[in-house]
Amino acid sequence: MTAAAVARATATRLAAADAAGLNATLHWSESLLDAEAARVDAMPAAGPLAAMPIALKDNIVTVQAPTTCGSRILEGYVSPYDATAVQRLRSAGALMAAKANMDEFAMGSSTEHSAYGRVKHPMDPSRVPGGSSGGSAALVAAGVVPAALGSETGGSVRQPASFCGVVGVKPSYGRVSRFGLVAFGSSLDCISVFGRTVDHAARVLSAMSGHDPLDSTTLDRPPMAVPAALPDLEGLRIGLPREYFPADLHPGVAAGMERVKQAIRELGAELVEVSLPNSKFAVPTYYIVAPAEAAANLARYDGVRYGPRKVGPGGDIRDVYQTTRGEGFGPEVQRRILIGTYVLSAGYYDAYYRKAQRTRARIADDFRRAFTGGVDLLLTPTTPTPAFRAGEKTEDPVSMYLADIFVCAISLAGLPALSIPVGRSEGLPVGAQIIAPFCEDERMLAAAGAVERVVAATEEVR
Amino acid sequence: MSIGRDDVIHVAKLAELAVKDEDLTRLVDQLNRIVDYVAQLDQVPADGTSDLFLPGPDQVALRPDVPGSVPLARPPAAMAPEFADGFFLVPRHGAMEDL
Repeated sequence: MTAAAVARATATRLAAADAAGLNATLHWSESLLDAEAARVDAMPAAGPLAAMPIALKDNIVTVQAPTTCGSRILEGYVSPYDATAVQRLRSAGALMAAKANMDEFAMGSSTEHSAYGRVKHPMDPSRVPGGSSGGSAALVAAGVVPAALGSETGGSVRQPASFCGVVGVKPSYGRVSRFGLVAFGSSLDCISVFGRTVDHAARVLSAMSGHDPLDSTTLDRPPMAVPAALPDLEGLRIGLPREYFPADLHPGVAAGMERVKQAIRELGAELVEVSLPNSKFAVPTYYIVAPAEAAANLARYDGVRYGPRKVGPGGDIRDVYQTTRGEGFGPEVQRRILIGTYVLSAGYYDAYYRKAQRTRARIADDFRRAFTGGVDLLLTPTTPTPAFRAGEKTEDPVSMYLADIFVCAISLAGLPALSIPVGRSEGLPVGAQIIAPFCEDERMLAAAGAVERVVAATEEVR
Repeated sequence: MSIGRDDVIHVAKLAELAVKDEDLTRLVDQLNRIVDYVAQLDQVPADGTSDLFLPGPDQVALRPDVPGSVPLARPPAAMAPEFADGFFLVPRHGAMEDL
């Protein structure tokens, strides 16, 4: 099949998703898709992602389409350069199909905080797809594209992958360049991948991984290999952290976890209980560290370097800053900038930020101890519940933040982790999370491929 | 610690963020809920671990010390609200000195 034919079929599916009111895309056009297809069809050899259409979360920059980050403050902005990840995917033969809707500046767990409207869950429009990469997740779940890029700061790919019933992979921090990913929390941000299958996600990750001189936090090691799914899990010890299996876990999620534990045992792995005692502090730690970094990173949106500029009543430069930011940022972004500024301000730095940094170190130490103690991988639920209803948590930020309770700690520790679908609870997908030691992304994907092969991911759990 | 109306106004000024009067009550309530929630970090012992953890490479890989630039598809003038003679244009400084 030529890339031109793939592009036409992709355009038909994108149009159908838009017509169905999914609201998962922010920018795409048939002319851009045709141009991408012409480029791929002219390549002298088919790359490893030959003509695979890929959607991009709208915080990953491209020269051809606007990048808004789901925010009014970047309305009309078009980057003068491409993200390294985009360049590498193009070189591998992929088609950049669409820019996907997202929570504004990747701040949210439901994709209800986009300035361009909420994204609907593809299986139940009254529910959220998760967030912040909800547009990318919905496009893969709806069958529009086989893979999509999202970004993770505190679980923003694994959580929506779980809600939407697709695979979501966060690589080790530093394996994929952040050059061209709009910064939110720089010590946490990772370009991550949604795939229809583990193999789709692994191929995309492999193509865009590797050292980048334009991002000094990338690891100086070769690109990731695409691992084959393991035939079985004989000889592996997989840890079950007791803190991730609370008594009040949603019954559907608990049943999904029983299903995947049984499958893993049948594949030959040994399951052992472990403890990660500081993970209970991950969400409060995250909601100090991430807003603090965000307050600094988002200072650049001031109406001077990026439009649209709003001039306040005083007409001077400070009015420009304050009015542009006050009118350009939505409520969740404003909240996080205020919290981040507060915890970094004189008199509060030690009480909040320093304490959060210390706790982050303890959380990372827990994982190190578990892995050096003889466990190869860890298994947890990805989320405490299946997808919740739209509007259910928007007025209570803390309740929304707790949707990320099982994914945050891994981001703080910089580890690789993924979510795979393991069943449905009353029709809604349930995901399981596999966590690996730092830079053992390939081993994690190979094990996940084995689990994916045997778990009945679309069947109800009992 | 609790956050009052004046604290929100002060922090908003530090953050260069115009906050509407009608939003202040909601912001005070929501920020207090967040601060109350993160206060559970007081339970974390202060000893036994280093103060700082950052993921990623132990050492930053150095690139050749050769000046270079990322080729831009369009110049800064095309992105900025106002740009002339190589400069971003802004309104007069005015109250900047009051900081």
